[in-house]
Amino acid sequence: MKRKGLKGLTAVLCCAAVATVVQGCGSSSDGRIEIEIVQYKMEAANYFKTVEEEFNATHDDIHLTISSPNDATTILKTRFIRENYPDIIGIGGDINYSYFVDADILADVSGYEGMKDINEGYLEIAEALELVPVDGTYIIPYVANAAGVLYNRDMFEEHGWQIPETWDEMLALCDQIQAEGILPFYFGFKDTWTCLAPWNAMAVELAPADTTKQVNKGTTTFTKEYKELAEKYMELLPYGPDDPFAYGYNDACTAFARGESAMYTIGSYATPQILSVNPDMKIDSFVMPASDDKNDRTLNSGIDLGFCVMEDCKNKEAAYEVLDFLYADENIQKYIDDQNAVPCKKGNFTLSSMLDGMTEFIQSGNMTDYQDHYYPSEMSVDALLQTLLLEKDEDAFLRTFDTNWQRYNRDIIRMVQDYEAAHGNTN
Amino acid sequence: MKKTSTVEKSNKWVMVLLILGLSTIIFPLYMTVVIAFKQPSEMTNSISGILSLPKVWSLNNFREAMEVTDFWNSLKNSLLISVLTVGLSVLIHSLMGYTLGRNKSSKFYNFVYLFIVSGMFVPFAILMMPLAKQTAEMGLANWFGVILLYVVFYMPMNIMLYSGYLTNIPMALEEAARVDGASTWRTYWQIIFPIMRPMHATVAVITALAVWNDVMTPLIIMAGSAENTLPLAQLNFQSQFGTNYNLAFASYLLSLIPILIFYLICQKQILNGVVNGAVK
Amino acid sequence: MSKHENERKRTFMLITIPILALFICFNTIPLIRGALYSFTNSRGFGSYDWVGLRNYIDLFSDARVGKSYLFTIKLALVTTVVVNVLSLIMALGLNSKIRAKGFFRGAYFLPNILGSLVVGYIFNYFFTYIIPALADMTGIRALGSSILSNPSKAWIGVMIVCAWQAIAMNTIIYISGLQTVPEDVYEAGGLDGATGWKQFKHLTFPLIIPFFSINMVLCVKNFLMVFDQIVALTKGGPAQSTESISYLIYNNGMAGGQFGFQSANAVVFFILIVVFSVAQMKFSSSKEEQL
Repeated sequence: MKRKGLKGLTAVLCCAAVATVVQGCGSSSDGRIEIEIVQYKMEAANYFKTVEEEFNATHDDIHLTISSPNDATTILKTRFIRENYPDIIGIGGDINYSYFVDADILADVSGYEGMKDINEGYLEIAEALELVPVDGTYIIPYVANAAGVLYNRDMFEEHGWQIPETWDEMLALCDQIQAEGILPFYFGFKDTWTCLAPWNAMAVELAPADTTKQVNKGTTTFTKEYKELAEKYMELLPYGPDDPFAYGYNDACTAFARGESAMYTIGSYATPQILSVNPDMKIDSFVMPASDDKNDRTLNSGIDLGFCVMEDCKNKEAAYEVLDFLYADENIQKYIDDQNAVPCKKGNFTLSSMLDGMTEFIQSGNMTDYQDHYYPSEMSVDALLQTLLLEKDEDAFLRTFDTNWQRYNRDIIRMVQDYEAAHGNTN
Repeated sequence: MKKTSTVEKSNKWVMVLLILGLSTIIFPLYMTVVIAFKQPSEMTNSISGILSLPKVWSLNNFREAMEVTDFWNSLKNSLLISVLTVGLSVLIHSLMGYTLGRNKSSKFYNFVYLFIVSGMFVPFAILMMPLAKQTAEMGLANWFGVILLYVVFYMPMNIMLYSGYLTNIPMALEEAARVDGASTWRTYWQIIFPIMRPMHATVAVITALAVWNDVMTPLIIMAGSAENTLPLAQLNFQSQFGTNYNLAFASYLLSLIPILIFYLICQKQILNGVVNGAVK
Repeated sequence: MSKHENERKRTFMLITIPILALFICFNTIPLIRGALYSFTNSRGFGSYDWVGLRNYIDLFSDARVGKSYLFTIKLALVTTVVVNVLSLIMALGLNSKIRAKGFFRGAYFLPNILGSLVVGYIFNYFFTYIIPALADMTGIRALGSSILSNPSKAWIGVMIVCAWQAIAMNTIIYISGLQTVPEDVYEAGGLDGATGWKQFKHLTFPLIIPFFSINMVLCVKNFLMVFDQIVALTKGGPAQSTESISYLIYNNGMAGGQFGFQSANAVVFFILIVVFSVAQMKFSSSKEEQL
């Protein structure tokens, strides 16, 4: 027994050692340049698989690998700490991007040829995400998403309901729908993140786009900017199900797909899940009207996926070649067909019919980024919103928002104020 | 005579309780199976809808789930990691558990015991980043690194189990062997190790289960190595914006089978109390 | 004899050193490295500054952290009691002479293996749709809405699922403990007329105290560090009422950008459970010695 145990152990250790060594050299291949992309949109994994295959079939000098893991942000962070950088990363335009820029791990891609074809609106959005303004461009926006109100087209046609353009019209429509015995909205507030969807869609009209930056500079407070927003948000609650906190995102998607409500305040990203339950459903969307002036309306849209080249990438030329392929019109069209997304590239693309109600905003470039792209995730604004909706105490909510903001963003605020002190006069 | 009748009576009550308890398991299992066979378009929010049988009993979900997870390959990785971890754990942890369990009077070993056992309470989140870095530096960012980490992670619990088990094994057994001139090392492998068989089985089940379902360790250690374990591959079914519950449930049912078989084999060992015979 | 003693001591030392080294290498050292981050404002990657004790000072004034400690401790205490009582009953039941023992043992193990996605989905469904429907039918108003949507009751839902999953493991440990109780103890007891509760209290229980204390420590560990069930069931909601400590550490530290601060939280949390558990182990080992 003793011998056996020991021998077994030794054998295992030896095997493992050999395996480690073999794996260590395994990555160098047949002389082709290796380019690795890690992108975070797991839903689009199939699309990227096809792109990878097509690219490798048509290129002899570069070998491309694209992975689309679940929980990509954690994977990326652990790989960064191991200094095992991929060549290109595909991420969303949110606070993580801001952190990555701040950590100096992304390469300046302003020299990339394809940059001039990108819609300026989205480049500005990307620019705005930098914690403090930095020189250069670090992300090439690929596609955007849009959030507003999804509605059941057949139901609207059948009852002759009109798309609302102001807040009062919105409430009137809800009353009308309710009077006909139909539930206006379905909410899935058990999954806290869904509380952010209506909030974002209304915030673009009711609060300045740079609210968070102004707070960081110390020129305003959330109590001032978000008061109307918080009040109006609570007015939506009576038009939803009795206990919206019992249902999750999936429940809400299923209910909306089954015709249990006329509208659903969520982003375009929810349509694949809704259609999986009811493939024949006709969905359209409109911009959430939150203001009394219909000209205040703006589309809530942000960078859903953009690509960044890592500073550590050895062969930037090869990376750009891969990007050329990714940003080819036909590939972008395939992506937006697959995911109902909005392209960030200029040109004539065919948009999904689910975005019909938003097309005029997209074409005229009338869009504003999500407020939550500036919220640090650890502050859990979604949970604060859920608390607001549960306890209906807007003053407490606004107070907490302001105090928590100062607490969670202390280092960023200091950074911003240092920057202001140094550059303040030139602005 | 009186004794048997009370035993029978209490057994009847035990049976009733066990059957009642069973319903809390059968019901979720029924739901899992039914959902695994349904199509996404059959999912509803009504109770009758979710409890109804699928329209067609087809294995398509299972086939597709196997394809999405690259089942055989992921299964191979999962098996490799689980089997090696369990094997190493039983060998190493029992030995350490024995050493610590038999030296409870020594201050040093007592300290080592508490030191290792308290390792159980380290929140994994604080270890993640340093471990990701350390394993990469040591060239262990692969399945072998994962196994080594598991052997360390489950050491506290297993050592606690082994040394607890030893308190009921009389010293007399070892002393007899010692009188015959056997070394401590040999006494351990010839006498103590076989006696602890029920505990080996317990440890094997607990360790295997924890390893089999674990996502975090392989996620951060093997990230970027293109190798998947089953739970890692199963992550492909869920994303924030859409989860295919039907495929996911089919896949979870599939991955449940190997570990259930393993448990059924082990639980026989847990109960073949060797100790009873040995003590007499 | 002393030669033998030396041999025995040497063997034990030779066993201990490499295993302890392995443990220190992959547990203690990363823990210390992680703890160092608690004095920084690190986000987990990139550059960071040393901030001294700021994170620790913040920790004690953070209402959210305080709330998560209260929730976690409440959950752990209640679940530990529930699980140990039920699994001891189960172990005694499954250890007695009953029909279809193997089947029951297999079936009761299942909750442990079902992945947390499955468990989360099923129990969410159960709490959201099935219980309220049953309550409607029977007219029990109190259960008319999902307990998971009620900030003051959601913890009960989490407790039920934790217990449901944990009972199997604790039962196995109790069963393996019961195997170490020699038959002749019962025979001797039976002659004295000790049956049922009395037999359990005076004969069985004292002999399985080591397993009782193992189970207590494991429960405290599992429930104080509860994470999977929170993710599967509530994700910390409603109204942040079910944010467990581990959930906060992972969610804000790893997934969010509060790595330094949550490392401090992890250090404090770690010290807290170690103190708690060591005290508990000391207590139960003194009990063992008494018997």
